[in-house]
Amino acid sequence: MATAAIERHDAPHHHSSTGLDNTKIAVWAFIGSECLFFMSLISTYLIYKGRNLVGPLPHEAWTDPATGETFKAILNIPVTSASTFVLLMSSLFMVLAHSAVVRGDRKYSKIWLASTALAGATFLGFQAFEFTEFVHAGLTLKRNLFGSTFFTLTGFHGAHVTAGVIWLITLLFIDMKRGLGPRDAGNVDVCALYWHFVDVVWIAIF
Amino acid sequence: MPLHPSRRRSALAALTAAASVFLAACSSEVPNSTLTPNTDLGRDIDALWDILLAGGVVVFALVTLGLLYVIVRYRHRPGEPEPKQTHGNTALEITWTLIPALVLAFIAVPTVRTIFKTQQNAPADALQIEVIGHQWWWEFRYPETGVITANELFLPTNRTVSFALRTADVLHSFWIPQLAGKRDLISNRTNYIVFTTDSTPTMAWNGFCAEYCGSSHANMRFRVYTVPPDEFDEWLAHQARGPVTAGAAAAVPSDTGATAAPAGQAGAPALPRAFQSIAELSQLPHIRPSTPLPEMAFTATEGDAARGAALYRASPCIACHTVQGVSPGIIGPDLTHVGSRTTIAAGLYPNDFEHLTRWLKDAPSLKAMNYPQGNGMPPMAPGLPNTMAGYDDQQIADLAAYLLSLK
Amino acid sequence: MATTVAAPPYPGSYSKQESGLWSWLTTVDHKRIGQLYLYTALVWFFIGGLEAGLIRWQLRSPNAGFISADLYNQLFTMHGTTMIFLGVMPLSAAFFNFLIPLQIGARDVAFPRLNAFSYWVFLAGGLLMNFSWLVGAAPDGGWFGYAPLTTRAYSPGPNIDYWVLGLQILGISSLAAAFNFVTTIINMRAPGMHFMRMPIFTWASFVTQFLLILAFPIITVALTFLQFDRFFGTNFYTVAAGADPLLWQHLFWLFGHPEVYILILPAFGLVSEVLPTFSRKPLFGYPVMVYSLILIAFLGFGVWAHHMFAVGMGPIADAVFGVTTMLIAIPTGVKIFNWLGTLWGGSLRFTTAMLFAVGLIALFTIGGISGVMHSSPPADLQQTDSYFVVAHFHYVMFGGSMMGIFAGIYYYFPKITGRLLHEGLGKVHFWLTFIGMNLTFFPMHYAGLTGMARRTFTYDANQGWDVENQVATIGYFVLAVAMAAFAINLMRSRTRGQRVGNDPWGAPTLEWTLPSPVPVYNFAELPIVTSRYPLWDKQHRGHAEVPTAPETETHTAHEDVVDVVSEHRGLPGEPQHPTAADLGIHMPSPTIKPLLAAIALTIPFVGLLMNTNVPVIIGGGVLFVAVLYSWLLTPVEPEHHPPVSAGHSAAPKGRPRADEPFWSDR
Ligand code: HEA
Ligand code: HEA
Ligand code: HEC
Ligand code: CUA
Ligand SMILES: [Cu+2]
Repeated sequence: MATAAIERHDAPHHHSSTGLDNTKIAVWAFIGSECLFFMSLISTYLIYKGRNLVGPLPHEAWTDPATGETFKAILNIPVTSASTFVLLMSSLFMVLAHSAVVRGDRKYSKIWLASTALAGATFLGFQAFEFTEFVHAGLTLKRNLFGSTFFTLTGFHGAHVTAGVIWLITLLFIDMKRGLGPRDAGNVDVCALYWHFVDVVWIAIF
Repeated sequence: MPLHPSRRRSALAALTAAASVFLAACSSEVPNSTLTPNTDLGRDIDALWDILLAGGVVVFALVTLGLLYVIVRYRHRPGEPEPKQTHGNTALEITWTLIPALVLAFIAVPTVRTIFKTQQNAPADALQIEVIGHQWWWEFRYPETGVITANELFLPTNRTVSFALRTADVLHSFWIPQLAGKRDLISNRTNYIVFTTDSTPTMAWNGFCAEYCGSSHANMRFRVYTVPPDEFDEWLAHQARGPVTAGAAAAVPSDTGATAAPAGQAGAPALPRAFQSIAELSQLPHIRPSTPLPEMAFTATEGDAARGAALYRASPCIACHTVQGVSPGIIGPDLTHVGSRTTIAAGLYPNDFEHLTRWLKDAPSLKAMNYPQGNGMPPMAPGLPNTMAGYDDQQIADLAAYLLSLK
Repeated sequence: MATTVAAPPYPGSYSKQESGLWSWLTTVDHKRIGQLYLYTALVWFFIGGLEAGLIRWQLRSPNAGFISADLYNQLFTMHGTTMIFLGVMPLSAAFFNFLIPLQIGARDVAFPRLNAFSYWVFLAGGLLMNFSWLVGAAPDGGWFGYAPLTTRAYSPGPNIDYWVLGLQILGISSLAAAFNFVTTIINMRAPGMHFMRMPIFTWASFVTQFLLILAFPIITVALTFLQFDRFFGTNFYTVAAGADPLLWQHLFWLFGHPEVYILILPAFGLVSEVLPTFSRKPLFGYPVMVYSLILIAFLGFGVWAHHMFAVGMGPIADAVFGVTTMLIAIPTGVKIFNWLGTLWGGSLRFTTAMLFAVGLIALFTIGGISGVMHSSPPADLQQTDSYFVVAHFHYVMFGGSMMGIFAGIYYYFPKITGRLLHEGLGKVHFWLTFIGMNLTFFPMHYAGLTGMARRTFTYDANQGWDVENQVATIGYFVLAVAMAAFAINLMRSRTRGQRVGNDPWGAPTLEWTLPSPVPVYNFAELPIVTSRYPLWDKQHRGHAEVPTAPETETHTAHEDVVDVVSEHRGLPGEPQHPTAADLGIHMPSPTIKPLLAAIALTIPFVGLLMNTNVPVIIGGGVLFVAVLYSWLLTPVEPEHHPPVSAGHSAAPKGRPRADEPFWSDR
């Protein structure tokens, strides 16, 4: 046969060229894509930063020449630092959760998964708080370029965190129902990868 | 300027191939050719084009001849043994990496040189013109004299002109193929294009909008007249004054007094020579628009400019159009000297009684326009959708007569 | 008989119960999904071609009053958008789907269900966008939708909404597919299929997936801004708020230029398969062909602003983008010359596939050269937005992408259906296409250089453009006859084409070891690959079973169809071959969930079009999440033993799901 160059053998059913899990590769590809997504959002934010025709502005107060109304600077570094800290901690919890799953430690896998999800939820709580503050300070999606770019950028990040929290809760739920063990390490790993990425993006935004 | 030897060689190579194209381009059959430039910028671009064409022809010939040779020479013949299995040849592959690189160097060097040469700031004594794009017509301003006109641009010959390009709405692009390349008109930005016209006799050129800008993008044209400098100055001075309404001015009812100013200046009804010298050019087949008029009943055959003038002052027109000393509107084109223009509706129709009356009666049927959502010219006859006035044909004829008298 | 490849003992075909409508709605078989892509995309291509016909009819003479300005603007917008996003891209995807697993020796793609999802999402996006015709409000902002024309202020109607939302949906489809194929190629190669042994089409696809992954998020962002501006009143492109319209242009072209390589690289890949087979010589300089693909893709991200030479970026940016653009001619030239090197010294057999492949070399070169003419910024000031650009991109996209795709269709049709396309009709198709294409598009160069702006629904008489436009319109009709011949050929050959065996062309790569059509499971046993051209392996040359061109004339249109209508193989539809189960192969179970997920995903977009109907949007979103959960929690394959590689003892029977990773990855 001309197929002589192709010897047949009984490969294991789940063949993999690299030894890596398919899902993990796909998630890496996804993260590559997301990098460009957030880079575009962040660049737009930066490009538009100095182009606002009306306030409120991120870092300085702005007085409306027509009405004399003054808008204070929007960005509140202390609050954001706190929420950033919470998100960073969540990454640590995620690492701990992952290693607990790999160990097959049912107790700590639950604890750390729950902590991660909780930290994520806390971050979202901060974000909701900040958003309402900003709206009260006069900054809306429609108000000016800063409002549009800021809310869109941080909103998309928030949506990613939300998706992550849902993912974590799903993991937690499964853990409680039937337990996560070493065989699930790959799946938890993928979730962790995503979670760390979302974290890193926040650092870039911050 | 002596040709650089390498340029001369490549120009030579292209000559035969390009000859037919070039000859055709020179003929009046192609009145908007980019290959017969009439400004310094146009010529710089054309010189680059010649290099590009030469390089392109060489590469095309190389690949095509190679392909043809291979097709003929290596066609399968019955009984032929298996061909020799070659997998590549590093030396060859390096060669055909380097040769294109060389060809590109020939293109890149003059390209970069031309970029920097053609994008210098205009000299201080350049004529300043502001171009403002509107959906779908052109506003031209001569800031030094405050002249505002529309859809027809007068340029002096043999002078550097600096255009400042802005838009009132969406993006447009300013293009006079025989004079220079395009520049886009971009919201929240001002763009510039600078060129020096040749010292030609009086000439007429077509201009186009070259960036898609909505419904009537294709109908956003303009005319350019290059006239000798002295005629240009005269024209500019004339444009800076109010309209010369010739005989009609005297007939304006005196009870309003509003037309006193232009009428006063009409005392010296000398029209600029440029009007005369472009008259014939404006009738050239490629300059005079031949857009067909839609079917439209119109009964009046003659209008009275004096009646038209009175009507105009009480018409909705004044909300949108400026006639110096009469109406202040700024939504539509400035009509102060509309009677002296050769086209209307951004180069779409000739400016004569027949076309003007149809335009005034029902402009939206003559040109796709954003009305009433945007700033289009509304219909003026009764019964039409979104009409702005109930003028009968005679009233419209009067209005047209008045507008045509605004020289 | 000059049979070179023995027909295998498992002639492949689908059994009867596997061919109903339901089986197509639930299929997760990459080969069937490939066919769905193929036929769907061809329908869009014909629709795009029909739109082109209306355009050409309007432009046949000056001041023609055939269609209105507004309709014309919708036509060219939809023509361009359809051809690019619903024609060429999914046609390429058809080949990604059908071929990649076969070429790398895999049973399916990495995520078969995600693959089905990509197809259904693509279909939904195309339908949504074209639905706009039915409500009389097709998109009219041009295929690159420049802001601020496309903002609500200047385009108040729903036209642009269809465009934005349709493209967003299509983007999801392309991205999902790209993650899938990248994973497939990285991880599912048969043993021995090293990267530098991969068939060149797979390489081209691999590179294309990276372009997709990196370019699509950028247009997603650009479109999201526009969508938010239009629906939620943000200010990204609001001039009155100080926005810069160039933001859109930079984002769009940062996507748009890589996009044009997304359109051409798969075609390059197909041609690189066809040329060696019909020259009976390996691809000349395979490694360089691979490197040039990568280099083209890499450079492709650094040249986007060559679409913006007229916006006044300043001399430095113009010079940089001009020169980087020129550089792309080098790796592309290497491809052209290496193709010539492949042909050189070969034994060329001009089947229809080969004709289209050679046609690509000739026509793409013309388009590439006009591309280089654009890349000189001052010269481009005359060319941009004129018909010269229209000529350029039709030479590269019709003369390049479409020619390559046609070559691929003629070449792979027997592998897809087990039957040949008719060669006689094929030659009619080729020659009329070649002539018609040059008649249509060559005069456009000249029209552009003599001042004709593009996107103009009409032009005045006496401008010197009459002849060019007349010829172009005549050329269109030649093309239309060519395409009709093609359509007829496809339809008749599906059922009446000549039957063939595994390897009708004497081709070298792995997919030709399989029966035609290929059985569901592709490879009964996974192959071990030891060379780049397993079927032409050098050490076997001279042996009886080595592929040699047959000397005997057959009655077929071309002399060298290896007639292996084998006795082993019954009529299609008769399951004479072992099923996957017989062979103990676990194939993914068919499932309707990808289709449901695609429908659910589309609902929020429809909700936006319904005056931002919030309940519909939220309902659709919730439904999507629900379907997604149900999808991810069902294993991809029927229950079977856990993979040994998991290294984990079997869990209690009866709860197989607990034993699988709790969600199946696919
Ligand atoms: C399949 C899609 C495809 C491909 C492959 C290309 C390939 C190229 N394109 Fe094209 N392009 C488009 C699709 C494509 N383009 C589209 C759709 C538009 C218009 C968008 C719109 O406005 O609607 C466009 C517009 C466009 C512009 C903007 C024009 C304008 O609007 O002003 C430019 C400018 O530089 C350009 C350049 C190039 C170059 C340099 C290449 C190069 O990659 C070509 C390289 C190939 C060769 C050069 C031929 C082979 C090489 C040799 C034989 C070696 C020797 C050659 C030389 C030394 C010259 N293209
Ligand atoms: C891959 C991309 C692709 C392809 C293949 C084509 C194919 C064609 N294009 Fe396309 N075109 C574009 C991409 C493409 N185009 C893009 C991106 C634009 C820019 C849009 C914009 O400015 O926004 C454009 C713009 C464009 C214009 C300029 C419009 C303008 O600027 O005003 C024109 C004008 O002639 C044109 C013509 C054609 C023609 C005649 C074909 C022909 O090759 C078509 C051939 C196809 C057919 C002839 C099939 C017809 C089918 C039938 C007749 C039925 C057959 C029978 C059965 C179904 C049984 N195109
Ligand atoms: C709602 C605003 C509006 C009103 C009212 C209006 N116009 Fe116009 N007019 C326009 C606009 C806008 C244009 C440019 C249309 C185009 O060419 O696209 C125009 C164009 C014209 C032109 C052609 C100018 C040229 O050089 O191309 C003439 C003449 C004209 N209007 C006369 C009139 C008269 C007379 C009236 C009243 C009977 C009138 N207009 C009322 C907006 C208006
Ligand atoms: Cu203005 Cu096109
Ligand atoms: Cu490009």
